[in-house]
This record gives sequence, structure tokens and C-alpha cells, in this order.
Amino acid sequence: MTMTPVNLSSTVADDEPPVSLWRDAWHRLLRNKLAVAGLAVVILLAFVAVFGPWLTPYDFLTQDLAARNQAPSLAHLFGTDDLGRDVFSRVVYGTRTAFVVAIVVTTIAVVIGVTLGAMAGYFGGLFDRIVMWFTDMTMSVPNLLLVVVINASLKTPLTAWMEARYQATLNPFYRETIWVDFLLVFGSMALISWPPYARLVRAQVLSIRGRPYVTAARALGLTNRLILIRYIVPNAIGPLIVSVSAGLGTAMVLESAFSFLGVGVNPPTPSWGNMISDGLRVWQHYPHLLAAPAAVLGLATVAFSFLGDGLNDALNPRGSK
Amino acid sequence: MAAEPLIKVENLVKHFVVRLGAFGERGATVHAVDDVNFDIFAGETLSLVGESGCGKSTTGFTLLNLQKATSGKVIFQGENIVSLDEKRMRPYRRELQIVFQDPYSTLNPRMTIGEVVGEPILFHKLATKAELPEKVTRLLADVGLPARFASRYPHELSGGQRQRVAIARALACQPKFIVCDEAISALDVSVQAQIINLLLDLQEKYGLTYLFIAHDLAVVRHISDRVGVMYLGRLAELATREQLFSNPLHPYTRALLSAVPEADPELEKTRQRQILVGDVPSPLAPPAGCRFHTRCPIAMDKCRAVVPEWREVVPGHHVACHAVEVGAAG
Ligand SMILES: Nc1ncnc2c1ncn2[C@@H]1O[C@H](COP(=O)(O)OP(=O)(O)O)[C@@H](O)[C@H]1O
Ligand code: SF4
Ligand SMILES: [Mg+2]
Repeated sequence: MTMTPVNLSSTVADDEPPVSLWRDAWHRLLRNKLAVAGLAVVILLAFVAVFGPWLTPYDFLTQDLAARNQAPSLAHLFGTDDLGRDVFSRVVYGTRTAFVVAIVVTTIAVVIGVTLGAMAGYFGGLFDRIVMWFTDMTMSVPNLLLVVVINASLKTPLTAWMEARYQATLNPFYRETIWVDFLLVFGSMALISWPPYARLVRAQVLSIRGRPYVTAARALGLTNRLILIRYIVPNAIGPLIVSVSAGLGTAMVLESAFSFLGVGVNPPTPSWGNMISDGLRVWQHYPHLLAAPAAVLGLATVAFSFLGDGLNDALNPRGSK
Repeated sequence: MAAEPLIKVENLVKHFVVRLGAFGERGATVHAVDDVNFDIFAGETLSLVGESGCGKSTTGFTLLNLQKATSGKVIFQGENIVSLDEKRMRPYRRELQIVFQDPYSTLNPRMTIGEVVGEPILFHKLATKAELPEKVTRLLADVGLPARFASRYPHELSGGQRQRVAIARALACQPKFIVCDEAISALDVSVQAQIINLLLDLQEKYGLTYLFIAHDLAVVRHISDRVGVMYLGRLAELATREQLFSNPLHPYTRALLSAVPEADPELEKTRQRQILVGDVPSPLAPPAGCRFHTRCPIAMDKCRAVVPEWREVVPGHHVACHAVEVGAAG
């Protein structure tokens, strides 16, 4: 047999290491200045969220009634609030609240969304229609309305139940009404956050399922399980990463909006949202009480959105290669 | 061609039920493949030609049981494979392979070339893990790619190189039969010739049988043993290459052939182009009787009412046309 002469005037040089799509995307991300800045801010904020309490000179609850409503100074970088608490320490602790809320909510939403979306896309039929009906329903109810209704109807009875349990058992766990806050905030936020993930993943699975490489895998005789694991999931995950990054920022804004409406994390636990809503009441006299948490929230949202955009460009390089 | 066929396709039908209208309120049926019959003999290249949308790919997919046939049979090794579920189909999958048209979506972007080619080998237990690298190297060499490509990702390769990988992946299964679904149509003309020669070399080396799907008669003339012409979901004519090119019987085949330039300049001067008027009718509502009657220059009343029978008018030469007499080899 004569081998056909091939022109391998190569697209591939010998000495270059192979580039997987992931590594390629990473390099593209690092070339995007805004995305790198976003990533740096996100990492910094995450660091603050984890180690915050060890970084601040004051406890976020300690009241110094002699030093109320002070303007920013060297002793109090962001000043103090109406109870004489250090605003910087509260913002730092609020970072932890923001990350906990964002991560927990996004994780729940992603797990629900990916599971339902992937199954709907893969199996189709009745299951698909039921899931899509639920996403449409959830998405058509205004988010804030849903959350306010849930909180209004569940908060009082749950708190009362906790109180009753405490009286009955004297277990200190039940005195922490913060758990009710968290349950309601996480639960209602996750409830309104999962449908976009479900839709995204379903659309991805539907489009990937019909690609020639999946048909080729079926022609090779591979099992459904292998096709899902090796072909569909790795190719569906890129857009999900983008969406999760943006979703973390959105969740922080949502939490602030809820706190502002009084259905979020309640004082005294510092959250940027309840600091903003407290600050708004007195902003004409003490602008720093509004400016500090608002600026940090703004910074975080912008950082997540730059990172999300950068990931989008890095993972979906239309036209290049 | 007296030998027992490798694959027998009998009355194969594939209809797609689609939903139309803004709310998908109307159901409709796409008659993609209707009542198609042909044999494929071991070691041959059978080409399938016809305009885009006439059902060539669907024939290939249904034949491989990658799409469920609406009705009909595909007999391979004594088994009607289109009736098998995925589990019972699995042993046959290894022997029946496919190469697709678009080299850019034919390979999983998340797998290296080595993984792409090695996966079927391990899955079908055609080699041990230890033997795998050598196997992959040999397969890459078979398709004219250096061994170092094994660690590369698809997006690092050109279209022609990816198509070679797709061929290597099919070869890795040690198949008897490969459907080449417009495997060269998306490539540069210079690369097309290389891939065709590669396919011919591999056919000789491994005794492969091809169903070669194309819309270009010029390519088909070069490589086919036999050629089938499809129109709107049905086979119009099927014959050996010589029969079909020197004595086309179906009016549609004649029209297609008249559009192919002659290699001989003298013949090219006298070539009469026969332009088909009108559009291909919708496969949602194919014409009654002969599906070609809306465009056929010699259509008769009968053509509008009666489906022409699929007949072997001379040995090896099948045609479905009322105007063709038995023995019309003239
Ligand atoms: N999955 C599908 N659903 C609905 N219609 C389809 C599907 N696949 C193919 N068709 C239709 O079937 C007909 C034949 O398509 P195809 O076999 O791809 O043609 P070809 O390969 O000859 O270009 C076309 O009208 C096409 O639109
Ligand atoms: S059957 Fe009639 S319409 Fe059809 S190709 Fe023959 S002559 Fe033309
Ligand atoms: Mg096709």
C-alpha cells in the first residue's frame, strides 16, 4: 500500500506542549485585564471573608457609646456607627455573610438546576415538560414578591417555634434565631435562583446531545453513562462556570436587597445589605455609614461580573481557533 | 456481484414527526426515507448521491440504527439490526462505523487525539492498556498522522487532520463497514483528494466496505463500484458505475449527469446541459405517484398517480420510472 503523501505543514509545532481547552481558556483569561482585576478582587474578598475576624482591630459587636457616628479616621478606617461599632470591622464581617449567603445559595441552586436541567434535556418527554413548567412558573412570579411572601408567612411561626423549643429544652441552639434567618434567606433565594441554571443546562445538553461527536460515541457503542460523563458534562460545564461566577455576584446583590426590605439577614449579624439600609436612614448626616458598605458591595458585584465576562470570552472563543 | 451481500436494506422507511406552527400545535410527517431497497457487497464502495435534503444521511443513520427506522429491515450477519435495542446492538456497533461531514464537530473537544482513538479500543477490549500506545501510534500512522499527535487536542489540528483522526477512530474498532457521510464535502479541494486516496488505501489494506454519501457526482465517478441516486426520500436508480455513467435510465439521473463536466474536451464541447426547472417539493408533502413528476421533462399521467415500481431492468441495473422498459439497456 502506498501511503498518501500528506502535507503536515503543521498547525502543530513539535516543541509546544499540548493545550487542552481548559488550559487554553485559562491563558486567555489571564490576558484579559478586566477579568484578572475581577479575579484579584474576588480572591481578596474571599480572603477577607475567611480571615476577616483576625484582620480587624475591633469586634463587630463591641459598642463604644463614647465614639458614636465618628467620621473615618486612622483608628476607625470607615468610622463608627450610631452604636459606636467599628464600621470597617462590620464591613469585613459582612463580607463573610455575603460569601456564605452567595456560596450556599448558589450551590443549592446549581445542584437543583443542574440535576433537573440535565435530566430534562437528556430524557426529554414528560419529565422535561414538568421541569420546564416549574421553571416557567418560578420565573414568572416576581422574585421579591415571592421572597417577601415566604418570609412574611414563615418567619413569625418559625421564630415562635424556636422559642418554644428553647423553653422546653433549654438547648442554646434554639436561641439563635439567626438560623431562622439563614433558612429563610437561603431557602427563598435558592428557590428563585435555580431556574436559570436548569434552563441553561437543559439547553446545553439538548444542543450537545445532537452534535456529531456524541453520535460518533453512540456509533462506537459507548454506554449512555460514559457518553454523559465523558462527552456531555465536560462540554456543558463551560457556560455553567460563567453563569455561576455571575450568579455569585447577583446573589450578593439579592441578599442586600432582601436585607434592605427587612427580609434578609437580621441585625446584629452584619450584612452589607442591612448596613446599607441602616445607612440610608442617616446618609445626609453620616454618609460614610452608607458609602462604606455600598462601595464594597459595588466592588464585589463589578468584580464578579468582570470575572464572569472574562470567563465567557475565555471559554467561548468564537472565531479564534 | 453474485456474492451474498454484507448488508441487505429492505423497504427501509424513516419518517420524522415534527411539530409545526407557532405553538407546535400541528403535527406533520417528514418523509425523509421511503421504501428504500439495496444490497451492499463486501469490499465494494457503494455511493449514494442526490441533492441536499433527499435523505442520504438519514439512510446512513437509520441503516446503522443510530436513528430508529420507522419500518423496514437492515440485515447484517443474519440479524435485522434496526430492530435491536442499544444493548443488543452493541456487538454490531464495532463492525459498523461512520465518518461525518463536519471535521470541526466530529471530535470531542475535551479529549486528546490519543484518547479519541484509544477509547473504542479499550471499550471493545481490542487491546490491553499496555498495548494501547502502540496501537494508537499504528492507527495514526495508518491515517498519515505522526505519533506525537496523540497528545494533541482537536482544536490544534486542521480540518483535514481532524478528518484523519475521525477515520482512525472508526478504524480502531476494526470495522467491516464504514458509512462516509459526505466525509470530504467540508474540506478544501486539495485536501479532499488526499482523504479520498487515504480511504481507498485503507479499503485495500483492511478489506473495508463503504457506503459513500456525496452530492458530487464527479467524486463518485472516481471511487465507486456502484452508485445509487436518491430523490426526495426514494431511490431513483442504482447501477454499477459504468452502467450509470454510460447509460443513465432515470430522467433525474440524466439531469444530474448533464451537469457534470466531461474530462474529455471534445465531449465537453458537445455536452448538453439539462437544467431542472422548479424546486424540490417539500418532504412534508411529497408528490403522489412518482416524486419526480413535478420536475420531470417526460412526465405522463400515470406518473402523477402511480408510484413507479423499483425494478431490475437489466442485471445489476435498478430503476424506478414508468418510462423505462425492461431490458432498456440500449
Ligand atoms: N431529526 C430530524 N427531524 C426532522 N426532520 C429531519 C431530521 N433529520 C433530517 N430531517 C429531514 O429529513 C430530510 C432528509 O434529510 P437528510 O437525510 O439529512 O438529507 P441529506 O443527507 O440527503 O442532505 C430533510 O428534509 C431533513 O430536513
Ligand atoms: S416515473 Fe414518470 S415522472 Fe417519474 S421519472 Fe419516470 S417519467 Fe418522470
Ligand atoms: Mg446529509
